[in-house]
Amino acid sequence: MDENKKIDYEEISKLVSFLEEKQLTEFELEVEGFKIKISRAVPQPVPQIKPASPNPGTQAEKAQPQAPAAPPVSQAPEEFHYITSPMVGTFYRAPNPTSPSFVEIGEEVKKGQTLCIIEAMKLMNEIESDVDGVVLEIYVENGKPVEYGQRLFAVQALAA
Amino acid sequence: MFSKILIANRGEIALRVIRAARELGLNTVAVYSESDRNSLHTILADEKVCIGPSRAADSYLNIPNILGAAEQTKAEAIHPGYGFLAENPRFAEICESSGIIFIGPQPAMIKLMGNKSLARQEMRKSHLYILPGSNEVVQDLPEAKKIAKKMGYPVILKAAAGGGGKGMRIARTRAQLEEQFGLAQNEAKASFSDASLYVEKYLDNSRHIEIQVVGDKHGNVVALGERECSIQRKHQKIIEESPSPFVDDRLRKRMIKAAEDAARRIGYQSLGTFEFLVDGQERYYFMEANTRVQVEHPVTEMVYGVDLVKEQIRIAAGEKLSIKDDIGMIGHCLECRINAEDPVTFSPSPGTIDFMLLPGGHGIRVDSAAYQGWQIPPDYDSLVAKIIALAPTRPEAIRKMQTALEMTTIVGIKTNLPLHLAILADSDFAKGSYDTQFMERFQQKNGNNHK
Repeated sequence: MDENKKIDYEEISKLVSFLEEKQLTEFELEVEGFKIKISRAVPQPVPQIKPASPNPGTQAEKAQPQAPAAPPVSQAPEEFHYITSPMVGTFYRAPNPTSPSFVEIGEEVKKGQTLCIIEAMKLMNEIESDVDGVVLEIYVENGKPVEYGQRLFAVQALAA
Repeated sequence: MFSKILIANRGEIALRVIRAARELGLNTVAVYSESDRNSLHTILADEKVCIGPSRAADSYLNIPNILGAAEQTKAEAIHPGYGFLAENPRFAEICESSGIIFIGPQPAMIKLMGNKSLARQEMRKSHLYILPGSNEVVQDLPEAKKIAKKMGYPVILKAAAGGGGKGMRIARTRAQLEEQFGLAQNEAKASFSDASLYVEKYLDNSRHIEIQVVGDKHGNVVALGERECSIQRKHQKIIEESPSPFVDDRLRKRMIKAAEDAARRIGYQSLGTFEFLVDGQERYYFMEANTRVQVEHPVTEMVYGVDLVKEQIRIAAGEKLSIKDDIGMIGHCLECRINAEDPVTFSPSPGTIDFMLLPGGHGIRVDSAAYQGWQIPPDYDSLVAKIIALAPTRPEAIRKMQTALEMTTIVGIKTNLPLHLAILADSDFAKGSYDTQFMERFQQKNGNNHK
């Protein structure tokens, strides 16, 4: 069991990245009585995430202050599905200030799942995803005003 | 005074309000639909908020989004311009209850004046003459025929929820009434989703003359001299002028006093217009009151040397009326409405303005939101520019307007510039002998009898 400590979170995530990089679906490693098996389900369109947005987290942070409405990557915009604001209001990522956000970048969402709340005229309007997919970008900071048609999320749609 | 106002409108009137606000030192917020992204009001305001797609019902009439935009930008007041939500009492009420000042009269006043039969009753109490007509909405043709028979033909059918000339039809005989009633109902239904009609006595050879009133929240009311608006086609005004060639000093004083007394009696607290029909015997009949800034307000501004929109904003902020009761007219003013439309068939002509040269010079004012390269969206009204000419006398004002229009070039869209030049050159127009049927005669005379 001591060997267990040899492998830590960082190493596992490195292995996962390696897996993704090589577009492998399964990986098995056995070292001195320690065995790890990582596998990932690959729905058809998912590998395309890679070229479109290799590192969504950092990219969103960079893009936000300058041009919140600009498309993040020009290479393959047709693969992005944008969730835009249907009204003028205030954007909230969580149902209340103490609860966790509805979604984070990289999370899978289902059609009809609540992505955020837009408060307009004291009413909380839940904005739902209209596709199954993976959240690639969140364009607006929590608590900021949004206008009609403004991009809120980019979602990589998954083939049904 | 406010520090920031939102303008819930588009086009030249939004720009007119932005200019007035900026002159008063206020910040401005434009709201715009997706098809007005490149429109001048969107570009020239200090802030802008997109409130919906092209369709007016989803954007410029979208009350939640407009109020949301006011809330987000912390605008303290909303100027509604004309059209859209300008005479919607519910909007004024919601503004009030949201703590935002509606730049216009009290919601109850808008409601009162929007109800034609109540407005008529109220004005009768204020000793204004009213044309005979149905006191309530007329539901069906037999009822309309009964009323028409009682007061005598010709009669005019008006949409109860109407405005802007839509749903108005004239019937000179019983047969015409039978024919027009259904059409007017359909038009009213299509334009205002309300088929209710009124029947009123129609006056032949009458003029459409209106009086500007301004009241503040301290009980002060002043009325300014007339705007002559008889040059209209299908109840759409084309050329307005002030003073009216038909109104002498005596009649003007009577009409001003009548409107001022009525406005004071009902406690009117903003900019408003009392529309009258004036017959050949100088009798004037109240038609309706518009509780907003009018398209043709510049002619009054020019002849009196006042700024009505700034006054309207100041009054909404609680300031006292600054326009004095004893100011006089300083000349003669004409306004031509240049529309993006075919000058012969009158069908709208949206498109891109490839080249544009607007007139200028001494005594010329242009209120327009058009610019070279701008694509006029097909979703809204066709007004491209209001060209306004001020000169000491009427003949000089006409000559000045002709010169201005001759030096105006708009390429890429069709405009009614040729129509304006033809009207200005008409001998009856030059003599000032015209009434509300001028355009029908003019079109017959000039051979293009299009409907």
